[in-house]
Amino acid sequence: MENQLNQEELTAEQIWELQPGEKRSVGVIHIVLLALLIGIGFVVGAFGSISFPLGFGVNFFWTGIAVQQVGAIWFGAWGVLAASIFPFFSNAISGTPFYVSLAYIPANAVQAFLPAWAFRYYKADPRLKSTRDYLILLAAMIVSSAFGALYSPLVVLKGFGLLTAESVPLFIWGWFGGNVVAGIVFNFILLKALSGVVIRTPSFVKKWWA
Amino acid sequence: MHKTLLGYVPDQSPIYAIHPFVKVYFLLIVSLFPLFITAPEWNFFIMLFTLALMWYSRVDVKILRIYAPMAISMGFIILLSYTVLGGVHPEYRLLTKPLGIPIYWERIRDATVVYFRILPMIATMVFFLSTSRERDVIVAMRSVKIPFVITYVFAMALRSAGMVLEDFGIVRQAEQARGFDPAGKSLAYKIRKYIMYMVPLFALSLRRTEEFTNALIARGYAFTGKASKVKRADYVLTHYTFRALDGVLVGIITITFIAILVLRYGFGYFGLDDSWFIIWAQSAL
Amino acid sequence: MSAVIEIKDYTWRYLYSPNPALENINLTVHQGEFIGIIGPNGSGKTTLAYSLNGLIPGQYHGIKQGGIKVLGKDVESYPTGALQKSVGVVFSDPEAQFTTMTVEDELVFGMENLGMSIPEIRERLEWVVELTDLSPLMLKPPYEISGGQKQRVALAAVLAMRPPIMVLDEPTSMLDPISRRRIFEVLAKLKREQRNTIIVIEHSLENLVPLADRMVLLHNSHLLLEGETRQFFEQMDLLLEKGLFPPGIMQFFHYLKQQGRYDGYLPVTVAEAAEKLTSLLEPAQEGKQ
Repeated sequence: MENQLNQEELTAEQIWELQPGEKRSVGVIHIVLLALLIGIGFVVGAFGSISFPLGFGVNFFWTGIAVQQVGAIWFGAWGVLAASIFPFFSNAISGTPFYVSLAYIPANAVQAFLPAWAFRYYKADPRLKSTRDYLILLAAMIVSSAFGALYSPLVVLKGFGLLTAESVPLFIWGWFGGNVVAGIVFNFILLKALSGVVIRTPSFVKKWWA
Repeated sequence: MHKTLLGYVPDQSPIYAIHPFVKVYFLLIVSLFPLFITAPEWNFFIMLFTLALMWYSRVDVKILRIYAPMAISMGFIILLSYTVLGGVHPEYRLLTKPLGIPIYWERIRDATVVYFRILPMIATMVFFLSTSRERDVIVAMRSVKIPFVITYVFAMALRSAGMVLEDFGIVRQAEQARGFDPAGKSLAYKIRKYIMYMVPLFALSLRRTEEFTNALIARGYAFTGKASKVKRADYVLTHYTFRALDGVLVGIITITFIAILVLRYGFGYFGLDDSWFIIWAQSAL
Repeated sequence: MSAVIEIKDYTWRYLYSPNPALENINLTVHQGEFIGIIGPNGSGKTTLAYSLNGLIPGQYHGIKQGGIKVLGKDVESYPTGALQKSVGVVFSDPEAQFTTMTVEDELVFGMENLGMSIPEIRERLEWVVELTDLSPLMLKPPYEISGGQKQRVALAAVLAMRPPIMVLDEPTSMLDPISRRRIFEVLAKLKREQRNTIIVIEHSLENLVPLADRMVLLHNSHLLLEGETRQFFEQMDLLLEKGLFPPGIMQFFHYLKQQGRYDGYLPVTVAEAAEKLTSLLEPAQEGKQ
């Protein structure tokens, strides 16, 4: 569409808060967004799963984390939903059994939810304008990946009998490092490069659903 | 040839006689079988059976070459996990101790059990992906009355994955046209350059969100309100009939699953104690 | 003829945009008319198309003044999904419009959204497939066919919903000349047989002009010129000044007119031009004899 955006500056508060008279509701665009995020996560996640595998969908450098965390920061619950669903597809392509992928859902959901929640709760600017924004993102990435890293090898892989107790730390560090390193590489750049545009589009989600 | 999610199946394949729901049901239920079976020979049999089905369906079994390295690397990781990283257990039977690392019989046995559990699960996934089209999954979902919005998100996600791959190709060609050649470069260099792909890929996908939404609305699709409650005709289902054979296959899969559960937990079958493979391996080692 | 679209003092500005995309537009379209809308990039053509079927203001944040009535009702008063039964839109990028996995599913999707029954869908499907010559492609993925075929699928998908008003936003911008012609052949058939109201936004005028009853020029968000096709192109100097290039035959006769060698209407088809040229040359040939 022609000339839809200009350089009018929005503050971090304004980004997350509804303006007087502003109406936002769930619409077809969010359904489309969910599908596209699953699609892009599928491809990007599969790239990580195939290129840097540790096994059972755990990777040394998992690019899918960028879609999970950036997607949820921009698109709220739709990003969290997509983050929970797409590893299912990307893991399938890389040979992870169906039910193992299914059991990863809580880890993937939390990994996406926490940064999205932190940005909304602390009113951080997704364009990463200040050190505070960077720190909030980094902290959310670390905490959420730590949860994923503890949950998945301990609950899922151990639960399915795929790992011995002694090899669990390798997978915990693999999951954690694979997510945090890839997150540092991609999340900062994606947020910095595209947030300025995304926050002005109708698909951007201020609260959780719209 | 008909394109499937993971390759091509010839026009004359018997798999077309099967209703898509049966294929999804096979994936969901047969994938569960190995979780209740410990004896490796039984899981190996499930894997062979699934591969035989692929052959019978005239799937090009070369497709398995994609998964062979993954299966091998998974086996290696499991073995590593159970041996080198298996810890010290004086209560286990020590087989050997290369470089001071104790290798126990029980650990080898457990690694074998786990690996043979994973193989049939992968096989069922490959069977499904190589014999099903996106349309089959949609038909299966609509057959069991899964809400249209869920079916549609699924279909569109598959479609958008294809688009992202196309976009990726275009962006890569554009980078190469500007002199970017990753061949022989370090991993760090490749990762750094990979970032160059991610930003345009995201930007293109976001732009598509708007285009798709407009297209959907222009075709009268509504997610909320009165228009979202229209009874959909599901025209696609008119091309598929759930025949007696499909009913029989669903019945066989269900009964087999129940039988496995009963035999496992009622009569103690499929355990390690009765496994002739484990008994043979124990005596051999 | 009754008015099916009434645009009155319509202004639209996108949120965050300093200038309106459309400003003070007034236009009435009558039932069965074929309207051609032209204008350079950024003149507001797409915004107008989106405004006609409710994508604006429904899907975009912005500020609106004035109003648009479709079939006597304000666009905004239509419930969700209802306006699309009356106004079908075909977009410029066919690939971006595909929402399903096969051509057949694509054609059926809109009809299912309208809640049509299977016999009704089957009947319309047969009609639209014949009209657009798509039967060999029905089971193919729509994004694996040629550009021209893609746009015919996109057009057919909207036609199948049988909206009384159709808006086509640069439907041939990505097509080769043969595919362009085929799209316009379908539109000509529609105009002849169905009496749909058709609004086509186009840059390429060769195929559009012979079909259009009326033409509209948008420039810098304003409606600059509007009129019956022949009269519209009488303003050739203005069109050329605004960077629009009417079909070669029209420019040729305009040139003759400027030279004082011709004083009739500008021909809109090659056949008409040939006829006019023959009649211009006849006295000269008679003189030679």
